This record gives sequence, structure tokens and C-alpha cells, in this order.
Amino acid sequence: MERESIGELEELVLLTVGSLYDKAYAVNIVDEIRDNTQRILDVTAVHSVLRRLEKKGFVNSVMGQATAERGGRRKRMFTLTLAGRAVLDNIMAVRLELYQKLPKLSFSGM
Amino acid sequence: MQPPKYADWFLERFCSEELLEDLQGDLYEFYCRDLKHKGQRFADVHYWWLVLRSFRLSAIKPIKTKNSTIIMTTINLKIAARVLRKDAINSSINLFGLTLGITCFILMGLYVTQETSYDQFHSNKDRIYRSYLKETYDNGNVFFNAITPPRFEGFYEENIPEVVTAVQFFPRTHNVGRSEEKLNDELAIISPEFFEVFDFELLRGKQTNPLESREAMVISEKYAQKYFGNEDPLGQTLEVEIGDDVRRFVISAIFEDIPINSSIKFDMGISNEINDEIFGDNFRNAWFSVGPETYVLLQEGADPTEIGQRSEEIAMGLIGEARSLESYEMGLQPITDIHLNPDIPLGNGPVANPQYVFILGLIGVLVLIIACINYATLAVGQSIKRAREVGVRKVMGAVKVELMWQYLSESLLMSGLAMIIGTTVAILLIPTFNLLTNSNLQYVFEWWHMFIFLGAALAIGLLAGLYPALILSRLKILEIISGRTSGGSMHSMRKGMVVFQFLITVFLISSTLIMRKQVNYLQNEDLGYSYKTSLSVRLFPRPGEDTTFVSRHRSTMANGELLKRALTQHPEVSDLAMASHTFGSNNWANLVATEEDGTYWRFRFLLADPAFIPAFDITMAEGRNFEEDNLADERQGVIINQAAVKLFELEDPIGKKLPPSNFGDHIIIGVTEDFKYSSLHNEVDPLIIVQNPEPIFAGVTDGDMAESPIPKLMFSYNGPNLVKARELLETEWNTTFGSAEMNWEFLDERIDAQYENEQRMNTLVSVGTVLSILIAMLGLVGLIILVVNSKVKEIGIRKVMGADTMAVFKLLYNSFALPIGIAIVLSIPMTVWLMLQWLDNFAYRVDIGVGVFVISAFVATAIVGIVVGYHAWRASRLNPVESLRAE
Repeated sequence: MERESIGELEELVLLTVGSLYDKAYAVNIVDEIRDNTQRILDVTAVHSVLRRLEKKGFVNSVMGQATAERGGRRKRMFTLTLAGRAVLDNIMAVRLELYQKLPKLSFSGM
Repeated sequence: MQPPKYADWFLERFCSEELLEDLQGDLYEFYCRDLKHKGQRFADVHYWWLVLRSFRLSAIKPIKTKNSTIIMTTINLKIAARVLRKDAINSSINLFGLTLGITCFILMGLYVTQETSYDQFHSNKDRIYRSYLKETYDNGNVFFNAITPPRFEGFYEENIPEVVTAVQFFPRTHNVGRSEEKLNDELAIISPEFFEVFDFELLRGKQTNPLESREAMVISEKYAQKYFGNEDPLGQTLEVEIGDDVRRFVISAIFEDIPINSSIKFDMGISNEINDEIFGDNFRNAWFSVGPETYVLLQEGADPTEIGQRSEEIAMGLIGEARSLESYEMGLQPITDIHLNPDIPLGNGPVANPQYVFILGLIGVLVLIIACINYATLAVGQSIKRAREVGVRKVMGAVKVELMWQYLSESLLMSGLAMIIGTTVAILLIPTFNLLTNSNLQYVFEWWHMFIFLGAALAIGLLAGLYPALILSRLKILEIISGRTSGGSMHSMRKGMVVFQFLITVFLISSTLIMRKQVNYLQNEDLGYSYKTSLSVRLFPRPGEDTTFVSRHRSTMANGELLKRALTQHPEVSDLAMASHTFGSNNWANLVATEEDGTYWRFRFLLADPAFIPAFDITMAEGRNFEEDNLADERQGVIINQAAVKLFELEDPIGKKLPPSNFGDHIIIGVTEDFKYSSLHNEVDPLIIVQNPEPIFAGVTDGDMAESPIPKLMFSYNGPNLVKARELLETEWNTTFGSAEMNWEFLDERIDAQYENEQRMNTLVSVGTVLSILIAMLGLVGLIILVVNSKVKEIGIRKVMGADTMAVFKLLYNSFALPIGIAIVLSIPMTVWLMLQWLDNFAYRVDIGVGVFVISAFVATAIVGIVVGYHAWRASRLNPVESLRAE
């Protein structure tokens, strides 16, 4: 299988999209990441990451309903695709595997 | 609750439609949040920020062009790129020529820009003037200076209401340091208001009036680093030896290093409030002693000429009937005029010869024109191959204008490429350029330069491509289809271009040769003295014994005697001599003696010991040199040069006195030949050499010593290694004088340095010439290919009839003989005229001579011969069967 490369920020956003399940849109994602990691992202950066992820086929998007707080504009809601899920699983598996290989020794130094 | 309108407008303009709605919605949500928590202002700014950050490639609307011009342009460029790639060899020849031209043009352009940008960075530049003083006396004496009396600052502020501020700038050399160890360094005494007039930026410390206190000092970033390293210099002290005192100054502010293109340069400044402590009243109140430069800031719209006249009147009134003064011209020169105006004497900043700047600019433009012509000839040369393409396009309905655009886009693409490469190469070459020309070019990129480069690329592309585009688009379909292309014959226009190209090339070759001849002459001319491997070291008086000129001189000579004795012990040192000036300077003391009746004599003055004349092999025309230990010689002996004999109208001068009646007891004991002690730009001035200055000083009424007359010790070093000479001098200096700073030079370097400008010019012109030859050769290659192609059948038939390579060569060469002949003939008057103007700068100059033109004509024809020869050889090797079989 051809590995799609995915950056750190992309991974974070992808995870967030997954965890927000059906409520994921840019503003929510920014807030969620802020609450979980204390990282304050620029919404435009998130937009650009989402566009990239969509192009790679890891997320899907549909236009949601209009709300008044957005001046009557609709939200673009994102959902994780199967491919996106697979990439996340893959990354997690690799990490876990490596993590478990960490020798005890390296802890004793701490 | 409305986000900024223009931000929205901008967003809607660039953002692609499918992204716009939710993007705008998201931003709007943030806007509402900001509005609630942080207020309107923050929200607006943040919204703008987010809109600008959203401007990313992935969000930009795809350009949907319905505009046919844009479509055609893109297609044209695409085709152009393909054509260029297809004919890679010719394209690279073309590109190479154009790049060379552009590189040369940019380098010369940067040089010219830097020279013309001097002092342009002051925001008040149109209102800042430098004062100059021209004193004229009844007897015809004129003293003309860009440095002025110290009292001018007060004079302008008190007497001329249009003067907003007058400031002075007086660079001096003092020993400066933080402790006992001090460096001899340059320190400027400036007016406290200095930073209000000029745009020298104060970076840290006291921003307003940093020199308010007498103990305050401002220092440049560079010098802050030099004296304080990484410490914070603000509030620290520097000690300065002024006269016998050691004064302490507190750093009050740090200013940005002064840019290279400033006539005023300094790294340390103290307030001129202390003038009353370090200069005597005589100097401070003098009308006729000059020191600092005075700059005035005028009110808007003030007339500097009128102010100059008014100043003179007021000053004349204040001076009274002094000293047979005829006029006291206090002129004002715009600050931006200082660097390129050699008519006003040198102040403290460098002055460039505008002629040189012009010549270099001209060379840059000429080489670029050659390159453009080159492109045109080459492109037309390749046009035959393109004839079918033109025919097909025309049949398909292309009109002339469209075809022209097609070919122009090729040249534009080419010039764009050449511009990118050329600019890069030029910028990379700046260090080499500086090394080669000994100049100090600096280039700082600013974003608006892009427009200039872009504009230049466009202009060059149009210039180079217009002619080929015209020719190609004019081809007749019928001619093309029937195979009778006329592209091969030499149009008169193209002949004209060849003539012009060669004209410039031959002109540059001749000029280089003439300039080289002159520079060689300057450097190898028999100067009347020998100086190879001579060193000179500056001496100094004993402390406390420097009250008067005479005592200072005596104590320095005595000091020098110590060093001289120490050096004499070394066998590789010989010809030791001491004198008040060394060679390679135009500023030997210039004195004037005036009589009651107004007759006056102006002459140069040298204090030398008896060893001076033999040490430099100066030939005595008459009489003898000073004798060692001859007290009469030492007291009253005078040696003059032949120019002085003429000046003083002496006949049989030995044993006589000089005519000025106030000179003390003296006797002329010898006459030297006119050895050329100053640069060959000027005739040799009359010179008086003595050991004891008193008799002459008794009769001197005026004069200037632009160069310090404190004696120097000179000696020849005959050892094998010149590095050793320096070490030897250093050792003896340190044992004799301890830690005093040593200033030494090689005389030959100093003498050559006088012609540095000429040398630099010559290098630059040579580079220009080589480039133009190269480019012209490239052009020639293109042309010859063209001619050969058009004569393939002729050559074939001739070969069948038995012609050899030589005959083919002659046939081809004939096409070029006439244009080159014309170019050579035309170049002669052009060269002679321009070079005579240049040679006018020198008192001693070479004849232009016929030889130069013979050589350059030969070079030009030889170049053509080589290129033609190669192609003739190739053409003659073609099998006639091949060339005749076609059709």
C-alpha cells in the first residue's frame, strides 16, 4: 500500500475531526484543539489543512445548515473517511509498537 | 455587527466560490467572538489579518479567462518556450549574449547609481547646503576651500534669517581608548544640532539632543562593537587625548553606521561646544583660517545664490579693510552636489570625477545595445528556418500583428530569462567587481527593484525583438511557399546594425588601448627620482616640544635621528633620509610670499635633510646638495628646482638670494632638475628645499599645509623579503619609541595610488571591451550562418568548378569587409574626440598615435577572419551533391 505522508498538524486536525464525529467544522476544530492541547491555531491554517486532507481523501465534507450567528452562511461539516481512519490507525500502531520497545533504561536516567 | 467591508470585498474577489461561504462564515464567527470580548478595533484588525492569511494558493479562484489576449499571451509564451527549447544551441548562444550584456549593464548601472546616490538619503537634502569660501586678494592670490572658518556657524545663524540651523563637521585624529592603551582614531567634532539636520539615525540612548553635554559622545554601532564589544556602551566612558589633556567622554547615544554613499562619515562625535577649550581664540574668531565644514539648513524656498552674496557683503563689513582682500565669496553648494562636483575643492568626503561615472554608464548602455543588436541579427538569421511556420500561420489566417506578438513573446521570454540570470550573476560578481576595480560597491535589495528589473526586461525584450518580429511577420506567403525566401540577403538595415556593432566594438578596443597607454605612461614615466622598495614612516615630535612649527620640526627631526641611527645598523637598509613630505602626494606645503607692491610668488616647500637628494637619486642641474655637518648649509642653504628658477626669474642662481625681500638670510646652493614629486595630472610646481624653515617663513604671508609637514623617515630596503622590512622597522620602532603607533607605507604603492582612478577606469573599460568583443563575435556567428545558408548553392557550384576553401573564405569575407571597413573608419573620429577630452585631465600625457587604430582595426578584422574562416572551412567541406540536390 502506498503510504500517504501526513504531517503533524494534519494528524492533529484529522484526529480532531474524528473525535468531533458529526460536529466537526473549522471553528469547532480550532476550539477543540485549543481545549485539548492549549495550542492556539489560526483558523486559516486549519482551513488549509482541511482542504489538503480532503484532497488526499482522508475527510469528506458536506454543507450543513445556516445559522444566524454566521450571518446566514452555512457550515462545512467534515467527517473522517475510511482512508482517514486507516491512516490514523496506522500511525497509532507504529507509535505504539515503537513506544513499547523503549528500554526501561531510558527511564532510569530521568 | 459588520466586519470590515473592504476585507469582505477582497475575500469575495479572490476566494473560489465553493469555499467562500463556509470560510466567510467561520471568519464571521470569530469576528463576533472578538467583538464581544476584545472590542471593535481588535476585531476589525483580526478579521483583516485572517482574510489576508486565507489568501493561499489552495483557496484562490482559478483564473477563468474569457479574455482572448490573455489566452493568446499564454499560448504565445508556451510556443516561444517550445521553439527556444527545440533550437537549443542557437537559443543558448542568444541567451548567453543577452545575459552578458545585461550583467555588464547591471554592474555598471549599480556603480553609476551608487555614485549618483551620494547624500540623497537626507530628507532635507534640497535644503541642506555646504558652505565654501573663496578668498581673492588684490595681488591675484586665491584661496578656495570647502572647509571654512569655525566662526561661520555663528555667522550664518546670527546674520542670515533664512538659515534654520547651521552645523559644523570637523573630523580630527586623536588617541582614543578606555584605558592607558589608546588607538589613533578619527573623531568628529560636530554641532549638537547635527542629528536634527541630517538623517543619521540614533538607535539607542538619548534621542533628542544627545550632545547637549560637553562630556557627551555619540558613537556608531560599528565603533560601539570596536571599543565595548558586547558590553552596553551607553553611559560608559571613553578617554580622548586632546593636546596635553586626557578628557573623558560619556557615551550618550548610538547611531546607525553611516552608509557608504554619504559625504559625511564619522564613527565618534563630540560636541563642538568644547571648541573654546581646545582651540585658541585666534582660530575660533579667524576669518582666514579654515578647519570644519559648515552645513546650513535653509528655509523652504530660500535662494542660496542670493544668500551667498548677502553673506559676502555682511562678512566684508565685519572684516573691514583687511589685508588687501578683494572678495570673500561665501558660496553655498547643495549637499547632493558635493560628490560629483570636482570644481569645488575637496572637503572631507570623497569626490568622484563625473566624467568617469558618465563613461562607465555609457559603456554599460553600449554593451547592452550591442547585445540587443546581437539578438536581433541572430533571430533574423534563424528566420529562414521559421519561414514555413510563418507561411502556415498566415494561411491559417494569422494577421501581421498577431505574428509580431508571437515573435515578440519569444524575445520577451528570452530577455526575462537573461534578466534573471544576469541579475543573479551581477550580484554574485559584486565582490569580484570591487576587487577588480578597487571600488566599494554595495547592493541592498529592496522590493521595488523588482519593478525596475521587470521593466528593464520588458524594454530589452521589445528593443531586441522588434526588428526580427517585423521582418518575420512581413514575409510573403507566396515567396515562402515557392521557396524563394529572401531572408538570406543582407538588408541595408541589418548592414547598418553590423556597422554599428562593430563601430562600438572598435571604439572600445581603441579606447582601452589609449587608456592603457596613458596609465602605463603615468606609472612608468621617469619621475626624476628612484623609489623602488622605499618605505616611509611617519615620525612625531617629542611631547611638550610642539608649541611652534619650528620647534615641532626640530624635535621631530631629533626623534627621527634616533630611529635613523638604529636602522643604519642593518646592512639591508640604505638611503635613509628625512623630509617633511613623501612622494605620491599633491599636497606638499604650498606657500605664498607677497611684496608690498603686490607681486607675489607661490611655491611648494620641503624641509629635508642632506641625505634626501642622494637617497632618491635626484639629479642636480647646477650647484650642489647640502653638505652633512655644514652649519652654514643647515642654517641658510636653499635648494630650488628648475621650475622655481623660472618662477623667480633667476639667472645663474647659485650663490644668489631669492627675490622676496622679507626672506631671512639664505643662499641658493643648488638647483635640482624638475623631479615630478606630485602626480602627473599636474605640472611640476616650483619647489624650495631647506633644512631650516626660519628664513623662508620670515617672508611667507600665506599658505596651506593640507598634508601634515611633520617629517617622515624614508629608507630603501635591499633585503630579499619585503615582509621582513616591515618586521625590521617594527622592531627598531618599538625599541626606540616604545608603544607609540607606527604609520608606514611603501612609496611605490603610494605613488601608484595617485593613479588609482585611472587604473580602475582602465580595468572597467577593458572588461567592457572584452564583453563587447565576445558579444560581437556571437552576433557574427549568427550572421555568417545566415550568409552561408543563403549561399549554399553558390558555394556548391563553385566547388564543382574547383574552388578551394580559400575561395569560399574570400566569398564569405567579402560580405563583411565593407561594413567592418566603414565601422573602423567611423570609429576613429569618435575615439579621438572622446579620448582627447579624457587626456585633458593630465599635464603629462601620451599622443594617441596611429598605432592604436592600426591595432584595433587589426583585432577587429582578425576576429571576423577567425569566425568567417571557421565557417568557410565548414561550408567548403559540404558535399556539393548535398547542397545542389535540393529542389
